[in-house]
Amino acid sequence: MTNKQENAKRLAIYLLIVAASSVLPFFCMKWMQASETAFFLAAEVFCATPALASLITRAVTKEGFRDMKLHLHLKGNIRYYVLAFALSLFCTALMYVPEIILQGHADWLSGFTLTNVLTAVLMLAAQGAVMSAGLLGEELGWRGYMNRKLEPLVGIIGTVLIGGVVWSLWHMPSDMQLYLAGKESFSEAMQTVGGRLLWMPGYAAFYLWLTKKTDSVWPAVLAHAMGNASQSSIMGLLSQGNIPDNADLGSGMLQFVPTILMAVVFTALLLRDQKKAPKTV
Amino acid sequence: MTGLVYKEWKQNRWYILSMILCGFLPLIAVLLFRSESPEHLDSLRIVGMLAGFLAAGALQIMVLRGDDRKLWGYWITAAPDGYRGFLRVKYEMIYGMILLFLLSMQMTDGLYCAVAADLGMTDAADISGIAVPLVFVQTLLRAVDIPFYYRFGSKTGSIIKMIGMVVLAIVISVALMFLMDSWDSVTALAKKLFTGYSSSLLLAGMLAAIPAVYVLSYRITCRLYLKGVEQYDK
Repeated sequence: MTNKQENAKRLAIYLLIVAASSVLPFFCMKWMQASETAFFLAAEVFCATPALASLITRAVTKEGFRDMKLHLHLKGNIRYYVLAFALSLFCTALMYVPEIILQGHADWLSGFTLTNVLTAVLMLAAQGAVMSAGLLGEELGWRGYMNRKLEPLVGIIGTVLIGGVVWSLWHMPSDMQLYLAGKESFSEAMQTVGGRLLWMPGYAAFYLWLTKKTDSVWPAVLAHAMGNASQSSIMGLLSQGNIPDNADLGSGMLQFVPTILMAVVFTALLLRDQKKAPKTV
Repeated sequence: MTGLVYKEWKQNRWYILSMILCGFLPLIAVLLFRSESPEHLDSLRIVGMLAGFLAAGALQIMVLRGDDRKLWGYWITAAPDGYRGFLRVKYEMIYGMILLFLLSMQMTDGLYCAVAADLGMTDAADISGIAVPLVFVQTLLRAVDIPFYYRFGSKTGSIIKMIGMVVLAIVISVALMFLMDSWDSVTALAKKLFTGYSSSLLLAGMLAAIPAVYVLSYRITCRLYLKGVEQYDK
């Protein structure tokens, strides 16, 4: 079996497990809605399935557990860790703030004082140091395994796009949770799914670039955690301003611009690095 | 580096895995003592959490045991990764243990809250709000413990650290006694610092500084290690 075939086989097994984990919550939804315990257990297992899938695939295919990119590689790479933290926060801010200003509601941003912003940044930095490890459950699978199998098969652009789509679709159970509970219409649920499909490839490119630069999944783990935590942080800052209760935040197309830009920039950087890399026979 | 990670795992895997058990202590406390004080389950969980915090702290120190030997110190200094690589793995492992403890405690707590909600106990509160600051305290304590251990060895290090703590407590007490006369202005300043946004800024700054202190502790230990090795086995 050639390397490509071997890669394709491993990727197929990995994707099969991940797809099963994404479909399973739809079948268990009634049970999950009826019991908090069931919901908690299912959610915890679901969040760790990308990592579990990578471990299972490694075991089943006898690939072994070497080179899982778990070393921190801090030496010489601190700048990438700082970027992982800062760019995620900056990108989230750009998803909301310009749109509010362009809509003529700059007065809603009165909560963005120096003290408040500094507090939010420091709190996120502290949170990032202790709370991001949980995201290893995803990143060990997506960046630590799937991307590495995808890249030799479909190249950089394919990895960013296909990887981003797979990653987005895996989130469907959580995106459709409100619809399945009868609290949202189908079109609203599809908007959430579609929105995620638009902005996830941007993050996929950024995390892939970080992983390749540092040869470690930890910067991607940090960036992912900051991407999640900065949403509530930005919302917290907005809520401190003169914002009406029924304000519609982040609903325009402008919110996708930062992540699309990120996808373009980091894919270009990845392609440049690939060109620079010495060719091996 | 992988070799050092392997060595630490083989030597300390039970200590590392025991962090998961320490995270279960709030739940264990509730299961063991729920019949004695069924009205105070939240307090029991907090006591269990504190017990877990203390047990985890003691176990984190145990992974340093046996490192204060002259022969080992010379050998690891001559190894390819050097004593810096060895210390880095130790620091990373202890930090990993702290995070594992937090993760385990949060998951157990989440499970408890979910089960409590299913049983109709709507007043079961999330104790993660206390666990996270405690984890920062734990990180700070380890940042203080480790340099003392490697500079002076296990026994002398803990005695010197204790003396240092006592001296610090005396200095703070004396300072407070001197400040008694102007107590009102001190409390006013403290209130000003710990109210509203300034308190969150101060708190956020303090919390964000702790991981930096941990890194600084590693650098200090690297500087002191060889001096410490000369004193081991005496």
